[in-house]
Amino acid sequence: MKKIIYLVIAASFFASCVAVKEYEKVNINDPDMVLSSRKANKFETSFQAYREASAGANGGKTGGGCGCN
Amino acid sequence: MKKILLIASLFSIVSIVAQEQSIDTIKIYKKRVLEKIEVDFSTSYYSQDGDNAAVTGGIGTEELTDLATDIVVSIPLNDDDILTINAEVSAYTSASSSNLNPFDNNSSSGVVGSPWVESTGDSKKDTWINGNVSYSHSSDDRNKIWSANLNFAAEYDYTSAGVGGSYTWLFNEKNTEVGIKGNAYFDTWNPQTPIELRYFSEVQNLNSGFFGGVDILDQNGNIIDKDGTNIWNPLSTTLVDDKTRNTFAFSVSFSQILNKNAQISFFADLIQQNGWLSSPMQRVYFGDRDNFYIGNPSSIPNYTSSSNRDVFQLADDIERLPDSRVKIPIGMRFNYYFNETFVARTYYRFYTDDWGVTSHTAEIEVPIKISDKFTLYPSYRYYTQTAANYFAPFEENLSTQEFYTSDFDLSDFDANQYGFGIKYTDIFTKLHIWKLNLKSAELKYSHYDRSTGLASDIISLGFNYVFE
Repeated sequence: MKKIIYLVIAASFFASCVAVKEYEKVNINDPDMVLSSRKANKFETSFQAYREASAGANGGKTGGGCGCN
Repeated sequence: MKKILLIASLFSIVSIVAQEQSIDTIKIYKKRVLEKIEVDFSTSYYSQDGDNAAVTGGIGTEELTDLATDIVVSIPLNDDDILTINAEVSAYTSASSSNLNPFDNNSSSGVVGSPWVESTGDSKKDTWINGNVSYSHSSDDRNKIWSANLNFAAEYDYTSAGVGGSYTWLFNEKNTEVGIKGNAYFDTWNPQTPIELRYFSEVQNLNSGFFGGVDILDQNGNIIDKDGTNIWNPLSTTLVDDKTRNTFAFSVSFSQILNKNAQISFFADLIQQNGWLSSPMQRVYFGDRDNFYIGNPSSIPNYTSSSNRDVFQLADDIERLPDSRVKIPIGMRFNYYFNETFVARTYYRFYTDDWGVTSHTAEIEVPIKISDKFTLYPSYRYYTQTAANYFAPFEENLSTQEFYTSDFDLSDFDANQYGFGIKYTDIFTKLHIWKLNLKSAELKYSHYDRSTGLASDIISLGFNYVFE
């Protein structure tokens, strides 16, 4: 039941979003608004994968390349 | 009737030609996915230290430095297609990995070593190289993007070959984006094992080879009788019997523009690994087996102290971990544009796997535009994880266990990371070297503190050029 409630809340959350037109995306298109890790963080992400047991879901590699993780 | 058919046919041909011309016209005015060749060049210097080196069984220096350089060249092949070539070289020196062979022959003291001292062994440095080629294609309406990539990486004891692909679909006036991605890596070990275990597995005799002229000490510092019953005897003489490691990763993502100033994304990976998932370099010492040493007997009582400079405990085994692992990370990003000065970039990830590790990662970065050309990037990241089921510190694993490790990267800890960056951006690309016009440059520093005592610093510098 909880899952259904969460789904309904999530659905209504997104349904309330009005499509933003291309000409209204000036702020959304700001380079700092990109929905991925920034290029400057690439090396940090690599070392986090070495020093932590977790990896993935961050735009970085999920395996391969080194024997670290 | 024939005339009517002829006219109809001509009309059809003309209309088809007109349509094609119309499409051609659209193609002519179609915005290119990437206008010009872009080159990203970046380099970083990383330094860490701590007291829980995995190579020496969970104690010992973790001192390590790494210098990495990365270059990415993105080439627009036509209006729709981009070829991206990425090459990276990373050269490290590590005190702990030098202790794969900790023993140096000291003319006055004989053979000595210590988990707290960097030895002169060849394994103290290595170079990792990585190459990646990817190709992406965007549909005419830019609502569908597919890509494929090939990856290769190598270091002295490890090679990796990977292949992958992705598909992204944008809809709802490009307000919504759904993506899937798959990658497979086929890796091979050239296993390097602790020197004493390797020698013993080869000769299985303490009176010949490396051990022939070297005294072995017991816990009390007494020289043992190598032909007696109380001798150093590793748990297993079979060290690595599978040199493969395969990784299969499947990812899904969903992004949504919420309004003119906010957007959100959710993403999840399913990662399955099999093969030799433990590191052959990492020693384990069991709490239920006698201890044996090489070096100075008077240093044995201080073995776990960094004041120990000249005695080394012989390993009971290398770490042993299951030959399969399933990882499930689930993440989200939420970015909000406050005004022309402030943006908030947030990230959260939940991670779980079937080795017992559960983790949470939360990160915030607040880009601050202080002028048209300069942006500051203060950031903070918090990370916490539970230990893997097979982890125990130095001398706390038992030889009766099937799997064991003393790698503190698999221990229970939390970590804080503080970062600060500054970026220069010039949309007019006035500065240039040869035909490379500088679009942006960024300098970033981060400090990382782990509750196990490990601390690290990383400084990175990146340049983004447009090729004229």
